[in-house]
Amino acid sequence: MAESSLKCVVVTPEKAVLDEAADFVVLPMYDGELGVAPNRQPLIGRLGFGELRITQGNQTKHYYVDGGFVQIRGNVVTVLTSKAIDIKDIKIADAQAVLAATNLETTPEGLESQAKAQQRARVQIRLAQKAS
Amino acid sequence: MASTRVLVKRRKAIRNIRKITRTMELIATARFKKAMDRAVEADAYTRKLAELAADLTGSATEITHPLLEKRDEIKNSILLVLCSNRGLCGGYNGSILREAMPHLKQSQADGINVHVELSGKRAIAYFKFQGIASEHTYTHFEDKPTFEQADELATRYLEWYIAGKIDRVDVAYMKFLNAARQTPVVETLLPLSSLAPEPTKKKPAEESKEAIEYEFLPAAAEILEEILPMSFKIRLFKCFLDAGVSEQIARRVAMKAATENAGEMIKSLSLQYNRARQAQITKEISEIIGGAAALK
Repeated sequence: MAESSLKCVVVTPEKAVLDEAADFVVLPMYDGELGVAPNRQPLIGRLGFGELRITQGNQTKHYYVDGGFVQIRGNVVTVLTSKAIDIKDIKIADAQAVLAATNLETTPEGLESQAKAQQRARVQIRLAQKAS
Repeated sequence: MASTRVLVKRRKAIRNIRKITRTMELIATARFKKAMDRAVEADAYTRKLAELAADLTGSATEITHPLLEKRDEIKNSILLVLCSNRGLCGGYNGSILREAMPHLKQSQADGINVHVELSGKRAIAYFKFQGIASEHTYTHFEDKPTFEQADELATRYLEWYIAGKIDRVDVAYMKFLNAARQTPVVETLLPLSSLAPEPTKKKPAEESKEAIEYEFLPAAAEILEEILPMSFKIRLFKCFLDAGVSEQIARRVAMKAATENAGEMIKSLSLQYNRARQAQITKEISEIIGGAAALK
């Protein structure tokens, strides 16, 4: 097959974040990372929260995505997510505030959502520290 | 004949009003463009989600989800009314409330316990005047609603719906059809009528009809379960966006009309003023002539 490259499209409900060519894309799936090279088999999957890496040439772009879906079809990677932040723009203070907040959650659901929020915050902090 | 001084004063006042309405028209136009851009960008997401859902349903035939089931008996429902925070936008708020009130009355007559939720000061003031208690009121949705704000509401509705606290969610808002047409509607968002959120524009005739063999991570049914709540959220968000765009259009139209009316009024006042002035001059001349004739 002829030499081809991927196209990576990232959209959130608020705006189209990104639409550009890429050589290699790493997606944060719900159960771990998934690398996508050109000419991959079509795929629909669920994303977890984590880091989205888009490599083009020698440059790699890093984004933090907060769940959502991915569709890969004919060398187009479409990422649908509720939030996509360039990791340089992550506000560590905000994430730390989430961690520091001592919510008195007593219900199981409350505890669960709190734990999730804290995990998200930890991932954000980790990514942000990597960027700086 | 009114005195010229009064007329001049009135004309001045109207000129000032015209300046203000004209500025407001320009502001509304600028804001409309921004709101429109946001709506268009959101549309990309909606379209993609619809595409995804369509692809999924192709492989997972049977879908049962609590969000899709229509409940036989509706006991509790939520009516969310989206109005503007500010006035001076013509019939915008009035027409939404006119649409929402009969719906509310009808639901109550059917024995449904309706929880009223309001967004926008205008709606709050109206319902307060009508003596209808509302459970939640929001004033932070301006012309730039963020997804996070809408998400907060959507998550709560979903929780309540799944817990069985509510059986229906309706939203009364101004639906944006195109730049020249908006209609007030009451839409039922939950239970979801169809799987995918409908995109505003017609999809360009299905590019490739032949089904593509997808790999699913995790299973298609599990992904669908996640897509449904998302689909609801995006629909609610779209309501807010539509409302924002429609509000700016309504304001622009209202202010344009006001500016034009002010212009007409200035014209008629100028005419009156000139007549009054001329009459006064004529009167003075005839007085002088009369005086001179008396001296002879």
